[in-house]
Amino acid sequence: MIVGRPMSRIDGFAKVTGRARYAADQQVRGVLHAYLVMSTVARGRITAVNTAGAEAAPGVIAVFTHLNMPRLTVPAPTHGFFKRYLPMQSPDVHHQGQPVALVVARTLEEAQHAATLVEVAYDARRPQSRLEEVMNEAFVPPPGSDGPNELTRGDVAAGMAQAQVRLEAAFHTPIHHHNPIEPSATQAIWDGDRLTVFESTQSLMNTRHSLSQAFGIPLENVRVLSPFLGGGFGAKGPVWPHTILTAAVARRLRRPVKLVLSRAHTYTSNGHRAETVQSLRLGARRDGRITALEHIVTQQVSRTEQTQFNSSEPTRMLYAIPNLRSVQRVARLDLPAQSFMRSPEAVTAHALECTLDELAYELDLDPIEVRLRNHADVNPEDGRPWGSKYLRECYRIGAERFGWSRRDPRPGSMRDGDMLVGWGMATAAHTAGGRPGSGVTVTLGTDGKATVRSATQDIGTGTYTVMTQIAADVLGLPVYDVSFQLGDSDFPEAYTSGASATVPTVGSGVNLAGTRALERLMALATAAGPLQGLPAARVAAADGYLFDREQPRRRVSHRAVLRAHGRPIEVTLTPPAAPLGYSTGATFAEVRIDPRTGRVHVSRIVGVFDPGRVLNRKTLRSQAIGGAIWAIGFTLSEHTLVDPATARIVNANLSGYLVPVNADVPHIDVSFIDKPDPASAALGARGFGETPMTGVTAAIANAVFHATGRRIRTLPITQDRLL
Amino acid sequence: MPLLWVKLHGMTQDGPTRRDVLKAGATAAAITPVLTQPVLAGAAAPSGAITLLVNGERHQVEVEARVTLLDALRERLALTGTKKGCDRGECGACTVLADGKRIKSCLTLAVMQEGREITTIEGLAEGDELHPMQAAFLKHDAFQCGICTPGQIMSAVACVAEGHAGSDQEVRDWMSGNLCRCSCYPNIVDAIREAAGR
Ligand code: FES
Ligand code: FES
Repeated sequence: MIVGRPMSRIDGFAKVTGRARYAADQQVRGVLHAYLVMSTVARGRITAVNTAGAEAAPGVIAVFTHLNMPRLTVPAPTHGFFKRYLPMQSPDVHHQGQPVALVVARTLEEAQHAATLVEVAYDARRPQSRLEEVMNEAFVPPPGSDGPNELTRGDVAAGMAQAQVRLEAAFHTPIHHHNPIEPSATQAIWDGDRLTVFESTQSLMNTRHSLSQAFGIPLENVRVLSPFLGGGFGAKGPVWPHTILTAAVARRLRRPVKLVLSRAHTYTSNGHRAETVQSLRLGARRDGRITALEHIVTQQVSRTEQTQFNSSEPTRMLYAIPNLRSVQRVARLDLPAQSFMRSPEAVTAHALECTLDELAYELDLDPIEVRLRNHADVNPEDGRPWGSKYLRECYRIGAERFGWSRRDPRPGSMRDGDMLVGWGMATAAHTAGGRPGSGVTVTLGTDGKATVRSATQDIGTGTYTVMTQIAADVLGLPVYDVSFQLGDSDFPEAYTSGASATVPTVGSGVNLAGTRALERLMALATAAGPLQGLPAARVAAADGYLFDREQPRRRVSHRAVLRAHGRPIEVTLTPPAAPLGYSTGATFAEVRIDPRTGRVHVSRIVGVFDPGRVLNRKTLRSQAIGGAIWAIGFTLSEHTLVDPATARIVNANLSGYLVPVNADVPHIDVSFIDKPDPASAALGARGFGETPMTGVTAAIANAVFHATGRRIRTLPITQDRLL
Repeated sequence: MPLLWVKLHGMTQDGPTRRDVLKAGATAAAITPVLTQPVLAGAAAPSGAITLLVNGERHQVEVEARVTLLDALRERLALTGTKKGCDRGECGACTVLADGKRIKSCLTLAVMQEGREITTIEGLAEGDELHPMQAAFLKHDAFQCGICTPGQIMSAVACVAEGHAGSDQEVRDWMSGNLCRCSCYPNIVDAIREAAGR
């Protein structure tokens, strides 16, 4: 088997040598440089613009504002244009950091400088950016793509009446920004009414459809290229206005135009994880069984959209809770459109998993025991069995690897010299897949080599590598005879790289198309030559050969069969939608806290996960480590701060917004159960990328409680909150 | 709701322009607060031809004085291996070597680097033969998306040369100027420790 091997990344050589060309790296002859001017007010109208100074500046080709920007159609939200309006089409301003002008010049420096010369006057209204002040205006939005926003199961009042222990807790999580190290970039090149864009996107599909709609040109006229993506984490899954505006000015100027957002621009251009207020009421019996849970999450939305992304699957799916009320509410603020960000379910999972820790203390039970007693043997959403679920094993193995049995549960009981030591744990869980299938073409050439193409993306998750492995296995070819190509919308359309959907949707496509191609090859091989007359069931393929299962020496190479055939075999298909998977795990964290400064250092993390079959241990481990480190940032340092007087983001950079650095990160012990999920059409692998960040956030917060006896329910747990 | 009248000169959110930086001295860029008023000047910046020595090759380039080394490499010399993650010294994606020392190429002007020997990621491998640090990054999966990787590798090469790779903790501390949002830090530490041991 090639699948499962810890192969190094196929795109690794290009990445370590600097040869990998990301969107902003592509060399486009004659390209002009664009730079955005952003609104300084959060709510109001533009009353006047003065572009004379900018237009007179050296090198400036054109300055666009709402007065002269070409008129565009607002794309439908069905293909990821969540914002529901395009800026620079009217004088209206809906948030600070909305594009109000776009300068195009010969060089980047000229564009950047001229952007400072654009003068804009506003009729501004006082903005509202404080969630706690609009809680009474919160409402339950219509159902989104992830199900209803209000769900009741059983009878919460009756469940609460049965409870012997009742808990209430309120949590607050702040705004987070994705901050991929590559800021979004677009290079737009028109040829008549055909448009090519180099785009940093997690979704060629969304970008292509949105551009086609914005300009009213056929889908075939739009080509989107993104062979390498410098991280996205959700920021580049939707389509955002700057992409469309760049293409619009390129069309008007009849010249290719390049726009790269500044770091600060990305804070208002790419969505964010919305701030939430959460309230939980939980009832349980003394034996630890939860009898009722009410979990209400209220999050910010903007004035122009109302999609709820901090969704409540953990509350609804993770434990067998007989009486449940789960509500997702939204409240409008004068902030940019929010969106999804890595592991959206981490937000509600954090509150739930911290509350379960409180329950464990209340009942004097081990936190693992509390979770086992509420284990969901079937999917509580529909009562159907899971494809597979090895969560119990994850708890057991994780506890062993961490040394959990040596924990003294009393808060403040463990020390290392002057340092307070805390151990905490939590369950990791995230849905994966449940999205439309992705198109794939498999071509077996007369040279015996395979080319596999899909308009999918590799956002760093290892798509190039694991899809090559799947194709090689299915086709019975060595990996070096398989070339997997992505990042070009001319290939069959694939789903967004998000929602942990790439392995389920593209993996199943590669499997299915590969299987069909191999069937056709086998039909040729058994029609003539050494395997003539053999029933297909007796023929297997491996290492570039088709052979008789009963006499493996009776064989013929792929190449010989295809050469005799004289033309390639090609199969293009789109597999059925991938089923919704649920990948779980158990996570454990150790923190060390300096009681004098309140500084929390995470000193150890253990995670054991059930991702179904492991396609590539090396890349999967990296994803799991990445998730754990995101959890460190989520719990201890990341928050976007908004000035309530102006609704401006005050830390739109990487020195005021603290993502974890190398020195914040300890040894991380990751392991996998590695048993195939029979419900998966991707060789037993489930989507997994978003699971490992969940769990760890609460494990850290629970460890902080264990170390200090302080339950900090407002994130991030910064030093000031512990002192 | 009361109406507020706001009249502001256009400003980018990025704070000062490159011209301000020139006035203030190039190294001040990282600590200049955001939202300062830009200088409203319209005249062309001084420009001229300079010679940059990059990866052992001499390049004549015509640049204005305000052009950073990073933008000279990326936009003039098509050496796009060096990445821009923040343009203000916070992320390390633009790390290159100048006379063997690691610097953030967004925080220095091209004209200031005349006469120095600049090494970028493109200059590290010998043809297709990877530098040991590149090979170690590949082996240990010390990257995912790869956008921070050129900066990490250049920084790592210098980190070892400085003698700052003696323990895992020392590597963590001395590599903390290079952000990796994919969060490959433990693998980066493993890669550097292995390459340092060779
Ligand atoms: S681009 Fe230079 S440090 Fe970020
Ligand atoms: S590999 Fe993606 S930012 Fe480091």
